[in-house]
Amino acid sequence: MDTFNILLMGFISIVIVNNLVLTKFLGICPYLGVSGRIDMAFGMGMAVTFVVTLSGTLTWLIDHLILMGTPLEVTRYVCFILVIAGAVQLVEMYVRKFFPSLYESFGIFLPLITTNCAILGLCLFINLWEIDSLVEAVVLSFGAGIGFTMAICIMAGIRENLNLADVPECLKGAPITLITAGILTLAFMGFAGMIR
Amino acid sequence: MANKSMDSASIYKQTLLAGLWRENPVFRLLLGMCPTLAVTAAVKPALTMGLCVIFVLLCSNIVVSLMRNLLKPHLRILMFTLTIATFVTIADLFLKAFALRMSETLGPYVPLIIVNCIIICRAEACASKNGLVVSIIDALGMGVGFTLTLCVLAGVRELLSTGKIFEAQVMPDWFVPWAAMSMPVGAFITLGLLLGLVNAVSKRKA
Amino acid sequence: MLKIKHFIQQSWLLIAASFLFGLLIAVTNAGLDERIKQNEKDKLNDLMKALVTDANDFKIEIEGVQIPGKRGRVTETDIYKVLDDDGNRIGFAFVAVGPGFADKIKLVIAVDDRCEKFFGFKVLSSNETPGFGDKIKEDYLGEQFKGAPAGELELVKAGKVEEVDSKIVAISGATVSSEAVVKIFNTYIDRVREQLQAKGFIHATKALRHEENKSELK
Repeated sequence: MDTFNILLMGFISIVIVNNLVLTKFLGICPYLGVSGRIDMAFGMGMAVTFVVTLSGTLTWLIDHLILMGTPLEVTRYVCFILVIAGAVQLVEMYVRKFFPSLYESFGIFLPLITTNCAILGLCLFINLWEIDSLVEAVVLSFGAGIGFTMAICIMAGIRENLNLADVPECLKGAPITLITAGILTLAFMGFAGMIR
Repeated sequence: MANKSMDSASIYKQTLLAGLWRENPVFRLLLGMCPTLAVTAAVKPALTMGLCVIFVLLCSNIVVSLMRNLLKPHLRILMFTLTIATFVTIADLFLKAFALRMSETLGPYVPLIIVNCIIICRAEACASKNGLVVSIIDALGMGVGFTLTLCVLAGVRELLSTGKIFEAQVMPDWFVPWAAMSMPVGAFITLGLLLGLVNAVSKRKA
Repeated sequence: MLKIKHFIQQSWLLIAASFLFGLLIAVTNAGLDERIKQNEKDKLNDLMKALVTDANDFKIEIEGVQIPGKRGRVTETDIYKVLDDDGNRIGFAFVAVGPGFADKIKLVIAVDDRCEKFFGFKVLSSNETPGFGDKIKEDYLGEQFKGAPAGELELVKAGKVEEVDSKIVAISGATVSSEAVVKIFNTYIDRVREQLQAKGFIHATKALRHEENKSELK
């Protein structure tokens, strides 16, 4: 029961309280880039969730089984980024071979994910927060993906309606998206300190 | 002969200026948003981040440009990431050794330079197609453009959130610090308004 | 055979580069490692020196004291002995960690030689909200811990700030962060005293006497 509680709290905290996009500024590029339509945003979110869970788990394993406590620790960043790049490549090949229709819809996003800061960022934060159980690392990585999906879908929903609004000429596009995002973070700030 | 050298000089100048304004990575290409928003609560960390990015960008552009003829197309991206990650690790070690306080303030955002789209974008778009000199100039132009943008953004935010710039008091006594500016909200809204301003100015110019 | 040849043809650059880059990192690390470690040590020493003004040197006295944390987790910390110019022991210091409002708060705490009074604390690292929780770094809170009895501390919303006692007045607007700091103190001090007693650095009776003092105060 106790472990379940910890996991649930960790999950809620990373989805809402410490949402990577809205409080840590991770994954802003796709957040601004592909949040134009809600179905695209959802596709991107799902792809990220998948890769982030995989790479979060793998990097935790590598960090704890190989790197920690040895002089190899300096190569942590290199290892992490290689794992992520590898995971993305693997997922791409796997999906292309076995789920061609899914690949069609994911296709464009997958290579982009390698340079999504949210993924490397999460791996680094797991290391920084000194998460020491594998289950917790998996739950946190999955939660980070869900949090990203949530943020990007909310944004896409707002932007679809924003198209109908009368925005000043010079603010059209990215500027108004950023300002909207700012107001959104203000709302999410209310959750801060909810879980400690 | 003289004509040719003139040509190359003007190309260099154009590449350098492109990064500063016409193709400014933050305002025009919307690249590298993550550090732009995260480290601009004060000028000092923003400047440190900018210098780190210049260093990594320069090194990776040099390396990529030198081996551009040997690259296999499908291993290209992997090669780029490997190069960038190496130099970021080196930059991180240097920061830890010579500027511990800054390294702590920036925290995980230093290793996150690896996934800063600016660097991989310049490696792909410029260094893997051009010679050494052009690549170096491009890196300098883009890097300085990025740093200047960060500093402007950080200047506005630091001034409004603490009344100081570069940790020196500039606002008069009656100024009430506006703490929200140093939080995520301030980052997003300041950048949004600055982008709007840049759009308006460049439209007037055209 | 052909496959291996193909493989090498495709990836020789990658393999060569990996070795080269690995070497580069190794050289940089070897060159800077000492300095980085020294930096971290210096930072801790500077903070402890700021806490205990007469201090001159710090040495690890007890390694790996186990502090039971929330969720049944155990964190470890080292207790340092604080020495003055003549090499006399004038107190103990340790690093304490606990959850704050946004992220972990890391403090350096110092107590006097008999573990009766706090010298106070300094923030080693925190990520509290700027302008609110961030104020734990300022003197308002720090001064209240100076000379406070080393035992259970209590956080109150209003009270006399100048009075040196076990009551800590919270910073308005940063109650949660102030509470976090007090909580860190309370989690660590008992364990640290137990360890110091077990190793014979302080006498158990002294701590008991202190407990009596506290009940008198109430």
